[in-house]
Amino acid sequence: MSIAELPRSTTSPVFERMSPTKKAEVVRELSDLLGVRYVLHTPYDLMLYEYDASIDRSRPDIVVLPASTEDVAAIVKIAAGYNVPVVPRGAGTGLSGGAIPIYGGIVMVFTRMNRVLEIDYDNLRAVVQPGLVNLHLSSALNPQGFYYVPDPSSQRSCTIGGNVGENAGGPHTLIYGVTTNHVLGLEIVTTDGEIVQVGGETLDTPGYDLTGLLIGSEGTLCIVTKVIVRIVHVAEAVKTLVAVFDTMDDASNTVSEIIASGVIPAAIEMMDEMILQAVEADTHAGYPMDAAAVLLMEAEGLCEGVAEQVEQIVSICNKHHARAVRIAANETERQLFWAGRKNAFGAVGRISPEFYVQDGVVPRTRLPYVLRRVSEICDSYGLRVGNVFHAGDGNLHPLILFDSQIPGEVERVRQAGHDILAVCAEVGGSITGEHGVGIEKQEEMALIFNEVDLRVMQQVREAWNPHQLFNPGKLFPMPGRCADMKQL
Amino acid sequence: MMGEIETFATAIQRSAPDIQVTSQADALRNYTVDGLLPRVVVTPITVEQVAQVVSLANQYDLSVLTRGGGSRISVGGLPERIDVLIETNRLTQLLEHEGPDLTCQVEAGLTLAALQAQLATKGQWLALDPPDAEQATLGGILASNASGPKRLRYGTARDLVIGLRVVQANGDLSRSGGRVVKNVAGYDLNKLYIGSLGTLGVIVEANFKLQPLPVAERTLLLTYPFAKYAMQTVIAILGSLLTPSALELIDPGAASDMNDFFGLQLPTNGYTLAANFEGGKISIDRQMDEARLIAGQHAALISDDLTGEAQNRFWEVVREHTQGTVTCKATMLMSQVAPYLETVEQVCHQHELEAAIVAHAGNGILYIELRPGDATLRLVEAIAELRMHAQQAHGSLVVERCPIDLKRRINVWGETGSDFYLMQRLKHQFDPKGTFVTGRFVGGL
Repeated sequence: MSIAELPRSTTSPVFERMSPTKKAEVVRELSDLLGVRYVLHTPYDLMLYEYDASIDRSRPDIVVLPASTEDVAAIVKIAAGYNVPVVPRGAGTGLSGGAIPIYGGIVMVFTRMNRVLEIDYDNLRAVVQPGLVNLHLSSALNPQGFYYVPDPSSQRSCTIGGNVGENAGGPHTLIYGVTTNHVLGLEIVTTDGEIVQVGGETLDTPGYDLTGLLIGSEGTLCIVTKVIVRIVHVAEAVKTLVAVFDTMDDASNTVSEIIASGVIPAAIEMMDEMILQAVEADTHAGYPMDAAAVLLMEAEGLCEGVAEQVEQIVSICNKHHARAVRIAANETERQLFWAGRKNAFGAVGRISPEFYVQDGVVPRTRLPYVLRRVSEICDSYGLRVGNVFHAGDGNLHPLILFDSQIPGEVERVRQAGHDILAVCAEVGGSITGEHGVGIEKQEEMALIFNEVDLRVMQQVREAWNPHQLFNPGKLFPMPGRCADMKQL
Repeated sequence: MMGEIETFATAIQRSAPDIQVTSQADALRNYTVDGLLPRVVVTPITVEQVAQVVSLANQYDLSVLTRGGGSRISVGGLPERIDVLIETNRLTQLLEHEGPDLTCQVEAGLTLAALQAQLATKGQWLALDPPDAEQATLGGILASNASGPKRLRYGTARDLVIGLRVVQANGDLSRSGGRVVKNVAGYDLNKLYIGSLGTLGVIVEANFKLQPLPVAERTLLLTYPFAKYAMQTVIAILGSLLTPSALELIDPGAASDMNDFFGLQLPTNGYTLAANFEGGKISIDRQMDEARLIAGQHAALISDDLTGEAQNRFWEVVREHTQGTVTCKATMLMSQVAPYLETVEQVCHQHELEAAIVAHAGNGILYIELRPGDATLRLVEAIAELRMHAQQAHGSLVVERCPIDLKRRINVWGETGSDFYLMQRLKHQFDPKGTFVTGRFVGGL
């Protein structure tokens, strides 16, 4: 069915909220299944699940906490029977509104399914439950000298299931890839309530790569109940450097030249003056407050390789007029450099009551142009912007500072965000490198995909989730949606 | 029906006069797939022409098969019928290669070798090393998910493709992914198209992320009396700080082949483990030393060291050895490889067959060549047993190459799994009319 054939939604939502009678029935059935303790339905309890780390908000009608895959399947069958939508939720750290139940319905929380089930060090695999916190997985593996590679900045809270839903990245994706490069198989529950294994412990399973298709599908195709991950040995050596520049262009050009020279650092992060000031006031990591840009870079591998890489990097920094280059002397200093970067978003709270972070990607060589445009765009709307981002893969995070008390400010921020993504699309980039489309960028999908491209994706959803039971209203542009659903 | 094909051919020539359309029986004989002749072969010059051909085929209810270099055209089950064969060898443009971005955009008919030659001018390469690089096209490599020994370090097509342009069953041209290395916008359709053997669409363009060419490369060759010790070494190396690019296991049967047919000089009384290291010179020296130490702890008998032309030649021979008359690709966990090799020996002995095996040991992927290739009934039984054992080891066995006679009696892919109905639903969405030839993919899709 093409987009043209789908019933055009006007202002009426895909699902109506449940009537009190219906809700009571559903609560009763779910309570019979899980026990009353694990079925939340009072306003006070539900309030905690109406928001995530994005700016959208919507209260679920019911929140359930399953303990097993069988629970999940049974819940889905009940939901399907009553035609109530289901939204899976990890830790609620998502930035694009993936876990927001915009039509109400049931939010499924995985805090009771948070264990490591198996670790096979010889075969470099582990099997985990979706509610497991990302950092806890690596912590479980560290004693044997292994870890799980994808490390989003929110890893102290975010879950593996959430990572799978968004195909999460982090600062170290340049060499190592993102979630989809480290997951071998999944156990899922479909919209029919069927439990299905996709992929597996071994490679090249015959048939379509359903695992690859499902990763990053933002909870709109299936619910993940088990994840088979690849684990790797921790690197022998890691060296972290900070390079300080007086112009953004120098910093951007340094990044391009490092990559072009054949050195691929494990991480290259960039922070601009605005962010540096906030970060330094917050973390006292030794970042300069008056530089135009700072590069935080990491080289990882065998000692010999790392030493060579660091030498190359330093030389290129100096070639592009770096004011200073500092190599972390020990693990403490290294952690401090990173703390500054990973807490950047929080630190911005010091200099602005609110901020809005975008997530565009552009080819590295277009970074200088795009950063200039970002600055121009925010200027034109009278907004301040700070930049902290994964320069190595061209993934920007402009932080637009605002005060929602100022009349019209919120609308200007929304426009600026849109315009920035339009520039990313203009230079052949993408509208999201790691945060996902969710609610936030569903309209902007049309900036990079045309009608045919979107129709093909709709086909996929039609095959897996024909009645939009799972996470409805996300990912695709929605003609005529209720204006008040979007906060910004 | 002759009329249909003629009408179709006429329509093609009218819409694109410079497309080559071949329908003479003599010429068509060059394009058989498992003994089946297509009724017409079309050779488009542009991506838009491919779209036109598919669109017309869809309108006339004709089935379409796409052919790149033809090196893996026989992978998969027997095709039901082939009306139109689209040849992609005129789509050979390198559309974009941004050095500092480490990305490129190519048309699907370019061969891997031709692409690597162009990328090398800027000191880069696409980290894919399947066999037959001179013949295999990027489109074919992606559609059949071909890979080689260095997948251990760099992954396979799914880890290297960042965007695709695909002609849909109705002739629409669509894009998936994009031109940047990090992208989570929308569903990851790249993963769906890769390995789908042309059943969901025709890949016409591909965007890749690239690697800088390594500064230096060396290969360590180790010999073991038993596969068990070689695999212990593999597990130990992968559990250490070392970062090999490839770890290949060669059994005595394969070693004999390589000596007899390609002039190598591998020991034929044991198992050879080849470990490839890439990087800076000092780092490689150290890795070679430490790998030798680990190997010594696991009863390695002798070791040798390859560089330069000898190294290139060695790996070329190893890659080509995955393409015999009857080749089974078995996958399993690394810890299962040694026991499985014993099983292969027993099964072969039982059925009076011989095996020659090359394995991507670090990935648990074995290419098992069985001989003689015409012992059809014995092969049917042996394959069934080998497949059962692979499945018990949580893996699979796919018969990648075999004579048509054998193919008629077996299921090359194995039984479908619990997720097959979901694959059927996807196929139904993408190609409801069955425009793309059926019978070749899993479950006959």
